[in-house]
Amino acid sequence: MFWHNFKYSVKTLLKNKILLFWVFAFPIVLGVFFHLAFQNIEKNEKLKIIDIGVVDDLQFQNRSIFKEALNTLSEKGENQMFSITYGDEEELHEQLEKKEITGYVSFGKDDVYLFVRKSGINETIFRYVIDEIASNEKIINHYISDGMSYVGNENVDFNMMIQNMMQTIESSQGNIENVSNENLSYTMIEYYTLIAMACLYGGIFAMVIMNSKLANMNATGKRTAISSLSKGKLIISSLLASYIVQLLGIVLLFLFTIICLKVDYGHHLPFVILLSFVGCLGGLSLGIFVSAMFKKNENTKTGILIAFTMLGCFLSGMMGITMKYTIDKYIPILNKINPASMITDGFYSLYYYGPNKRFFFNIISILLFTIVLTAVSIREIRRQKYDSI
Amino acid sequence: MQKMIEVKHLTKYYKDFKAIDDLSFFVKEGEILGLLGPNGSGKSTTINCLLSLLHFKNGSIQILGREMKPESYDIKKQIGVVFQEVAVFEELNVYENIDYFCGLYIEDEETRKKYVEEAISLVGLERYRKFYPKQLSGGLLRRLNIACGIAHKPRLIFLDEPTVAVDPQSRNNILEGIEKLREKGATIVYTTHYMEEVEILCDRIIILDKGHIIAEGTATELKEHANIEEKITVEGLKLTKDQFENIRNLKNVDKVRFVENVLTITYKSGQNNISVLIEFLRNHNITYQSIFSERPTLNDVFLNLTGKELRD
Repeated sequence: MFWHNFKYSVKTLLKNKILLFWVFAFPIVLGVFFHLAFQNIEKNEKLKIIDIGVVDDLQFQNRSIFKEALNTLSEKGENQMFSITYGDEEELHEQLEKKEITGYVSFGKDDVYLFVRKSGINETIFRYVIDEIASNEKIINHYISDGMSYVGNENVDFNMMIQNMMQTIESSQGNIENVSNENLSYTMIEYYTLIAMACLYGGIFAMVIMNSKLANMNATGKRTAISSLSKGKLIISSLLASYIVQLLGIVLLFLFTIICLKVDYGHHLPFVILLSFVGCLGGLSLGIFVSAMFKKNENTKTGILIAFTMLGCFLSGMMGITMKYTIDKYIPILNKINPASMITDGFYSLYYYGPNKRFFFNIISILLFTIVLTAVSIREIRRQKYDSI
Repeated sequence: MQKMIEVKHLTKYYKDFKAIDDLSFFVKEGEILGLLGPNGSGKSTTINCLLSLLHFKNGSIQILGREMKPESYDIKKQIGVVFQEVAVFEELNVYENIDYFCGLYIEDEETRKKYVEEAISLVGLERYRKFYPKQLSGGLLRRLNIACGIAHKPRLIFLDEPTVAVDPQSRNNILEGIEKLREKGATIVYTTHYMEEVEILCDRIIILDKGHIIAEGTATELKEHANIEEKITVEGLKLTKDQFENIRNLKNVDKVRFVENVLTITYKSGQNNISVLIEFLRNHNITYQSIFSERPTLNDVFLNLTGKELRD
């Protein structure tokens, strides 16, 4: 009877055209729109050359590592990052005021002073690069001083160390993008929120299936509830069916975005799958919650679930990624309890940092969200008798 | 004969409203019990309490000799219910709907297939097995609703107003189906506010009003209980006040009503009442268009007991 109910639950869900549209087709359609809208933006989003100034005085001339690094980063070519104006501090300050340069840097004996007008993308990148060079300079100087005490030690190759440092800086575009929040890959953030949305929309399946199996929801629920199949088996087999169908939708979405839209989800596919599966559990619990807690008709409940999901996705950056950072900055707790944000952030951290602490924190957060919502819902669902139906 | 259902002092409130008031009754095996009453009289609430879907304040319910609880799955296995509302899945066709609900009781696939086919045949849906609910008329949908409730061959069947809003052909089909179920030995609790159905089908009738039993017995017993023997209606006549009073004083007359040239007389008892009346009309040179005599219906019984119509 368990599998009989499972089989027919899958069948009813897969034949419900409205559900299929919202959970299967809608995310795919949105994905196509994102693809069309963002493919050109993404191309234009490569870092522009930033105009900066360097106070060219004796102190700067003594900072050979900085000189070398800045020269490399301002060399004309594909990887050029800076266009540098050398001059005295007064001239550069004037240029900064006139907004001709993003900022300028001056040097003390051991210190580096950075001057910018405001806090923005270019300023952030500028600061990041100067910090990176400064920290590498310290390491190299440390080795040099050690090398002095090991005169003749041919194993210490300072040129190689400088080259490595330059490689680190040049290849740090990804990190720079991370530091400069607004410069993230728009498309990827949108796809992450899209997957989050699809995971949560999958909750509609759980909601609909629960509605059809509970006596206080509708007539089929009444008929099912008085059958000889135990309520536990009935609920578990129905939810399992909705979860499987939900996963099917996610798999379709992944296949479509990977094959047709050429979306690159990074190199951690097992973790991508893990997060999607856990995300679907979050959606499932949301569906059960809406089904159990709102004594409304099915259309109203669907509306509530869609509205909640859309709001969650909006707050996690679907309609403008600045929203995610605004929420992170001013009301961080909101994104901590927003399942869409947990899923999006999980993908984001996986893409950029791999399966690290932040990724697993998001996984655990979604699981906690699932457990809390399911526990609250089960209190309501487990009732076998009602005051009125 | 075994008591399939035994209800004692059942009382159910919806907040402060008393929906069932100290209700006690029983249903014997093989019997068709009619629960008759107007809308809101407590028929469906009674059934929902019997099925352990609703909490109730007082009383006890035994089905098949055991206390009925939500987890009494072995008892539930022997119960079939046809609710007032059509309870089928829009996404499944006729066969699949019946198969799904039957499968919640019958595990063996072969047996289930056989039962589903028999249920389809019982309600006359052979031509519609691949049809989806949206493609069915109201009457066919009601038949499907019945098939879903009885396909697993339950010993005890609750039919809660199964013929509401159906065409005459489907109603006849449904009533025939119920007769067949009775022939196969099923015990049936049949709720309706159509008294003619109850008179045709039921072995025993309970009339409910405001959540309590106001009369109980066979149709004949109830009519006797209502103390009505005969009703004579004369249409298209004119009467003076004196003539009206004289009719009221005729032998065995209980009540007389004269509205818009129609005279209605109810008699407590007696024979040849119509001959006496015709004689009276002739002697007083009273002309009329038609005259006919009726035996009282359950509606008259209900009217007599409560002062209101069953379909109010």
